[in-house]
Amino acid sequence: MPTLPLTRREFIRRSAGGGLGLLAFTGAAPSFLAQSALAQAPGPEKDRSILVVIQLAGGNDGLNTLIPYSDDNYYRLRPTIGLKDDLIPVNEDLAFHPSCGPLHQLYDLGQLSIVQNVGYPNPNRSHFRSSEIWETASSSDAVQHTGWLGRYFDNTCSGTPQENADPAAVHLGDIIPQSFLAERSHSVFGMNPRGRVGKRQDPAAAAYEKLLQVDHGAGSASYLQHTMMDTLVTERRVEQIITGYKAMTGYPGSQLAQSLKRVAALIHAELETRVYFVSQGGYDTHANQHNSHARLLGELSAAMHAFQRDLTAHKKDDQVLTMTFSEFGRRPSENGSGGTDHGTAAPLFVMGSPVKGGLIGNAPDLKLESNKDLQFSTDFRRVYHTVLDRWLAADAEKILGSAYEPLPLV
Amino acid sequence: MTLPAPTPATFSVDDAWKPLPLHVWDQEAAAHLLRRIGFSATPERVATALKRTPEKEIIDAFAHAEPLKMSEALAEYRDHAPANHRMIQRDIRDPEQKRARRNELREQENELFRDFAMSWFQHARQPENSATEKFVLFLQDIFVVDRRTVRDTPALFALQQVLRAGIKADYPELCKSVSREPAMIRYLNLDQNTARKPNENFARELFELFTLGEGNYSEADIKESARAFTGYRTRQRYEFYFQRNLHDSRQKTVFGESGTWRGDDVIDLTFQQAAARTFLIGEFIKFYLTDETVPEAYIEALGEQWAARRFNLAYLIETFFQSRLFFHPAYRGNMVKSPVQFYLGLCQDLRLDLIPFEGRLLKGMDVMGQSFYNPPNVRGWLYGEHWINSTTISARRQVVDYLFSPLNEKSLNANDQRDLEKARQAERGNFLITAEQLQVLLEMEPARIAEHLTTYFITPHFRAAYQPVLAELLADSPTPAADLRHAVIALLQSPAYNLC
Repeated sequence: MPTLPLTRREFIRRSAGGGLGLLAFTGAAPSFLAQSALAQAPGPEKDRSILVVIQLAGGNDGLNTLIPYSDDNYYRLRPTIGLKDDLIPVNEDLAFHPSCGPLHQLYDLGQLSIVQNVGYPNPNRSHFRSSEIWETASSSDAVQHTGWLGRYFDNTCSGTPQENADPAAVHLGDIIPQSFLAERSHSVFGMNPRGRVGKRQDPAAAAYEKLLQVDHGAGSASYLQHTMMDTLVTERRVEQIITGYKAMTGYPGSQLAQSLKRVAALIHAELETRVYFVSQGGYDTHANQHNSHARLLGELSAAMHAFQRDLTAHKKDDQVLTMTFSEFGRRPSENGSGGTDHGTAAPLFVMGSPVKGGLIGNAPDLKLESNKDLQFSTDFRRVYHTVLDRWLAADAEKILGSAYEPLPLV
Repeated sequence: MTLPAPTPATFSVDDAWKPLPLHVWDQEAAAHLLRRIGFSATPERVATALKRTPEKEIIDAFAHAEPLKMSEALAEYRDHAPANHRMIQRDIRDPEQKRARRNELREQENELFRDFAMSWFQHARQPENSATEKFVLFLQDIFVVDRRTVRDTPALFALQQVLRAGIKADYPELCKSVSREPAMIRYLNLDQNTARKPNENFARELFELFTLGEGNYSEADIKESARAFTGYRTRQRYEFYFQRNLHDSRQKTVFGESGTWRGDDVIDLTFQQAAARTFLIGEFIKFYLTDETVPEAYIEALGEQWAARRFNLAYLIETFFQSRLFFHPAYRGNMVKSPVQFYLGLCQDLRLDLIPFEGRLLKGMDVMGQSFYNPPNVRGWLYGEHWINSTTISARRQVVDYLFSPLNEKSLNANDQRDLEKARQAERGNFLITAEQLQVLLEMEPARIAEHLTTYFITPHFRAAYQPVLAELLADSPTPAADLRHAVIALLQSPAYNLC
């Protein structure tokens, strides 16, 4: 009895030798994928842990997300944009923004932890630099060339595309997040939040597939060939998963919600992917932020809530941890245009059935002069350390370059 | 199909850098040279090259290049920028007005940056400029500066010009010029480096990324050198200025040599280190020859010759591209094209003008992973296989699809219509492949077409394997025009076309 091929490479060799077209299927499910997954040595890890990262791009105004409504300083610093009405209290000092009802529900269920006042020393107020610091987990005075999740892949995944059929990481959006930059190449798959994944099957695609099947030898040609095949196969598989997915809850129409719906579909289909990255833009609220920030937080809360409900209904919730981050918080003092300028620390959310829930860390001190910045109380790398160590079971110290004190998150 | 890479045992170090013997200067050798030194090897260029020696061809590849011209709008912006910024900083009191004026200036600068990007692609696409601009890309990946940090188009333009002129310079002199460029001064914080509060950023990158590579200097060397680079400032935004009272004129010890060194002295000391002879050559090899490690003995041998020529870059280029090692069969057709080479090479191969739509072209480069002047970090792009992942592969395929799809002019937005109008006025409206252009090929037999296409577009390694597949696609076709179009698209999306 012939043994099952163990790697993609072996598939290629065989199909080239036997003349059996690897990608000769047209539209039908790529059946060899199931085999390929089965043939992987460790077998499908049904209970593996998954991390979903939500980027709030532009710098989320933390003080208007989690409002210190008992603190007069808050209203002193924000005479016009400070929020008073319809707040959703968390305790006698802090309240959610009125748009965050769904997040509050999760908080009450113990499925949402709020890490307060997260930042880093010597904060940088440039979007790009501060995003880079967050995504590479570097200090503000040092430059790291790889992302924190990229280093996680370097430390855990095999790296070569032919070894593993499913992508190591998936991102929604055109450009690979800096968090994924790695020393070695990993299979990273990107797609848009809406629309078809990959190209429609057209006659040029059929020709392309035929060319992909010829023997390309070794080296870069083989690398290209395998990545192209993996991409085709993954595109088709993902398209099929997404179109066939039955969400157990209604997702709002926002880009973020649609992104998370796709993530839910892939998780439900038990892809071996451990890390997903989605992004919500628009948080750079320099002017007239009242309505726009409310809309953003409304979208965020509704999307996260739908995602969590859907995962729970599919019994995947104990496998998934979702965390938010933003490159910085905003200035405690409002500016002259009904908005806020770039600041420093802000709260972030960690969601999932396994989280301990509640408030973590200390709230910021608002006894500040006008236009001064918050002093962070929890270093963001403590969050990363906890996630890497406690959730992804990875060598956090190696990945982050030093040890950080874990937080009681999971 | 893939040959083992040469080692000193199989291919002598003495021979490695000798010029290629003329009797093996054939069509494939010429095509290899043209694809590596520039972006493509069209049959006309190959034919011309074969009438010359490799040496003459290499010199010629750079000889007819023009420097990129600064647009009038950018020159005007540059002339007024110092006064404009001063005014915002000093004269406008009202913070709202300050903000509004600053945004206005930023908008203007953004637009100028996009114009700069488009004009660079336009310029580099011209075959006579391609070798020069590819070398500029190489140097930009050494002297990394990014647009995100340096939001100042005239400064970025000026640095690029210094690099372009550097092609003929001695490398140490180029390092000195770059250390005086406002874009670099801002990017690596030289303007925050003072005797009282040294900033080590520039000194560190000078050693690590420009000249020696990691492990060839000590932290103490960095600290001492940082003091030598104090006092580097700009005035009127774009002019270098040495501010004596910020300079630390005391004694420093760098690489064991003590003296009251200034920045230029440190650069001279750096080039006395053994690692300076090999570091740039290693980077050059990664950029132009192969992803894989090349035995150190080869690099050292060339380094020695290079150092004896005062580290002259023209010497390095001419020696490298003529060499037997460069033409070694193991190094042919094994490099992943960068997004810039993929796209500009496509335009040259297909004789197309640049896509005139600013948004589409620049976004396309972003998604393929090589945003103009915006590398991911100070280390620059990593080249080779690092370009390739599912996102960038899909983006490359989409570029090809786009070039073979008809343009729906009615669906263009106002900006695109403006860009199209501008391109047509400049007689650059030919940016898509039409059905008629492919028609001529149909007069040939399928096997002939397959041979023609593979000879034209890809390196020899894959021709034998690709030809029967293409011929089969075209054989007995009820819709030959459509099938031919699909076959060409597929070929341009294939692994082989992504290599050079």
